[in-house]
Amino acid sequence: MSLGVRGLHAGYGRLAVLHGIDLTAGEGELVAVIGANGAGKSTLLRALSGLLPLTSGTVHLAGTDVTGYGPEKLARTGLAHVPENRLVFPSLSVADNLVLGGYTRRRGPAAARKEARDRAMALFPRLEPRLEQAAGTLSGGEQQMLAIARGLMAQPRVLVLDEPSVGLAPRLVGEIFSALGQLRDDGLTLVVVEQNARAAFAVADRVSVMDRGRVVLEGDPAALSTDPRVAGGFLGGGFAADADAGADAAGAATPGVASGATRATERT
Amino acid sequence: MTDLLQLLFAGLSQGAVYALVAIGFVAIFTVSGVINLAQGEFAALAGLVAISAVGSGLPLLAAVVLAVVSVALVAVIMERLVIFPVKRMTTLVSLILTLGVSTGLKALMLLVYGPNAEGLTPLTPGGFSLGGVSIRYQELWILLIAGVVSLAVYWFYERTLAGKSLRACAEQPVAARLVGISLTKASLLSFLIAGTVGAIAGVLASPLYFTSWESGLTLGLKGFVAATLGGLISVRGAVLGGLLLGVLETLTAGYISTGLRDAVAFLLLIIVLVARPAGIFGRTAEARV
Ligand SMILES: Nc1ncnc2c1ncn2[C@@H]1O[C@H](COP(=O)(O)OP(=O)(O)O)[C@@H](O)[C@H]1O
Ligand SMILES: [Mg+2]
Repeated sequence: MSLGVRGLHAGYGRLAVLHGIDLTAGEGELVAVIGANGAGKSTLLRALSGLLPLTSGTVHLAGTDVTGYGPEKLARTGLAHVPENRLVFPSLSVADNLVLGGYTRRRGPAAARKEARDRAMALFPRLEPRLEQAAGTLSGGEQQMLAIARGLMAQPRVLVLDEPSVGLAPRLVGEIFSALGQLRDDGLTLVVVEQNARAAFAVADRVSVMDRGRVVLEGDPAALSTDPRVAGGFLGGGFAADADAGADAAGAATPGVASGATRATERT
Repeated sequence: MTDLLQLLFAGLSQGAVYALVAIGFVAIFTVSGVINLAQGEFAALAGLVAISAVGSGLPLLAAVVLAVVSVALVAVIMERLVIFPVKRMTTLVSLILTLGVSTGLKALMLLVYGPNAEGLTPLTPGGFSLGGVSIRYQELWILLIAGVVSLAVYWFYERTLAGKSLRACAEQPVAARLVGISLTKASLLSFLIAGTVGAIAGVLASPLYFTSWESGLTLGLKGFVAATLGGLISVRGAVLGGLLLGVLETLTAGYISTGLRDAVAFLLLIIVLVARPAGIFGRTAEARV
């Protein structure tokens, strides 16, 4: 087991968002976590990567109990988090973004850094001719590729991604998910959080469905994709839920809190 | 014509001092959003430490090094004691806290060094005249050293991993944490940089402009205005802002009235804040440092 989450509770101040999440991802497994806007997917990833303190619960990473680790220490231990909205470093070049991705490995062997970089370049060859360009000038799809490549530079054991498909044209979504599939085939453990269930189901080994801070369904994608509860209830707007799921968020969140979330994640 | 050249030269060397103080503001503000009102006191303290070290028999260079190192240390301690413990730092809170530190440092300097203004021994005393323009060696030293230090700081942010990690914190603090950069270490490093450049400004300026326990106030204000000209987020903007301010001040003093000299900074500040809050030398909000 590469990643094991048990009974995880977390939230923002007095607002409890996650109510006892269990999630496991075995080595070389790609687990998709789907759910409507506001279900708590990003909160789960923030708690996993130490950005948000846990109220209770445990997190294990590659056999180590990493509960309570901060993000720096977790990155060093082997968890890379590709955040919502990409958050590339805009005025830094693509090459520098990659170098910073390997920040925790700066004292490690240069050969390993080079290998990580070569792998990332092979995965996203579009980045190669743009290495000297400022990351802020890349297209949305390229920024997403850069954010993933930056995560890979940390030489992680587990890569978690927050809505890599959001705002991208279908062709690019396909490109990115096939890259994720390739990483899984190379033995990396991945957890992908998505509203875009169709893209996620196509590559996932297992799927967890989240609703209002709980995992409500779990199983293999083939079985779940025909489950009426997935199509109807939990994704809002149906199975092809890359459509706007904003209406659902209103049910799960107070408006004031929701705008606070926007500010926090979009802070530059 | 000679007059103009004379004023321009004097303005540039004065402006180079402002530029260094301004870099200190930028270094800290970009990383943590803190506006450090004690930045001027870093310069004054360094001047006073160097003067008293020379007074007690230390060679000039050793005194200068001692002053820079001790002020850098003061800056680092200030960060740990005053900035680091604050959970949710906002610019307003930072103004209140650093104003407190500034006041404390002033009181301390008054207590230890007394109320008199003094000048440090110049690195090279005297001067010469070139085509009617009189040039003091210390002014050349100021230009040279401030130039080298500014370039070094620029190189640090553009070329080194530590410098890039500070820019990363400034641009995307969440992503910076996720790649394993510690924001608290970054903040500490930014204070170290600010303390060092502020101290260098203080020891360079002291032989010409004199130092007292309260000289940090004007120097800090002028450095702040210079930094604001670059939008508070650009080292290059801070340097250009410092030089521009220095030149405008000496031109005003020379052609209009010496009494108006200190008003220039405030006038510039108002114009910039009203017309271009992002600074005149600032590029877009993205292009930090
Ligand atoms: N920074 C924040 N502060 C306060 N509440 C937040 C914050 N971020 C998210 N929330 C709230 O937590 C809940 C889950 O949000 P989130 O994890 O972003 O959902 P998802 O990623 O599934 O769309 C929502 O009710 C949201 O309003
Ligand atoms: Mg989200």
